[in-house]
Amino acid sequence: MQILAISPDPNEKSQELAQKLRARYRFLTDRDLEVTRRYGLLHAHGGHKGQDVARPTTVVLDRRGVVRWLQLADSIQVRPDSADVARAVRQLGS
Amino acid sequence: MIRYWPALVSVVLALGAIAVYVALLRVTVVRNHPELYLLAFAVAAVIAAAATWRAARWPNFVALGLSVVLLILGGYFNFVLARIPPAPIVLRVGEPAPDFTLPDATGAPVNLASFRERTPVVLVFYRGYW
Repeated sequence: MQILAISPDPNEKSQELAQKLRARYRFLTDRDLEVTRRYGLLHAHGGHKGQDVARPTTVVLDRRGVVRWLQLADSIQVRPDSADVARAVRQLGS
Repeated sequence: MIRYWPALVSVVLALGAIAVYVALLRVTVVRNHPELYLLAFAVAAVIAAAATWRAARWPNFVALGLSVVLLILGGYFNFVLARIPPAPIVLRVGEPAPDFTLPDATGAPVNLASFRERTPVVLVFYRGYW
């Protein structure tokens, strides 16, 4: 399984976060939110300084690139349960 | 002798709810149910209101004021500020995700389609820290 974490953060910030979380997944920079917008996940003026940010969203894709599970947040406080994500990935089989 | 223990209970409950929420922010069930701290603020306000009704003394007013302010601020944050307006749905279960190429943290381009036939992919869109 490959985890791709996508945000408008500049690369140094992502690197910092990766080290802080000891994360082994890859951080991708969507600087101008072009991909986020194309995915319908733009939260306009949702940042703490009123800047555009991404709606917190987790998407599980199978080997064919088809969406098999997703959770879109309706509040900036909400995050998916990692157990739910793990279950969705397991259901794809290995 | 007037006892102020209900006011104390009210303050401890209200501030304790904040402390517990912050301390357990990484626990999904706590993070995803911010209405739990609102409930704690409401209970704290009821206790303080009852205490104030019984004895109109300043410790009871302080406890009542604190819990009511926290309830209003917490409710405003939770139900107004934190809400994300609904947007047209692009992603649907059973449909392919749009392809993209984005730079990773080292600047190397990563193409979504390159993972096809190799491994499942989990995309995590997050708000970022800037």
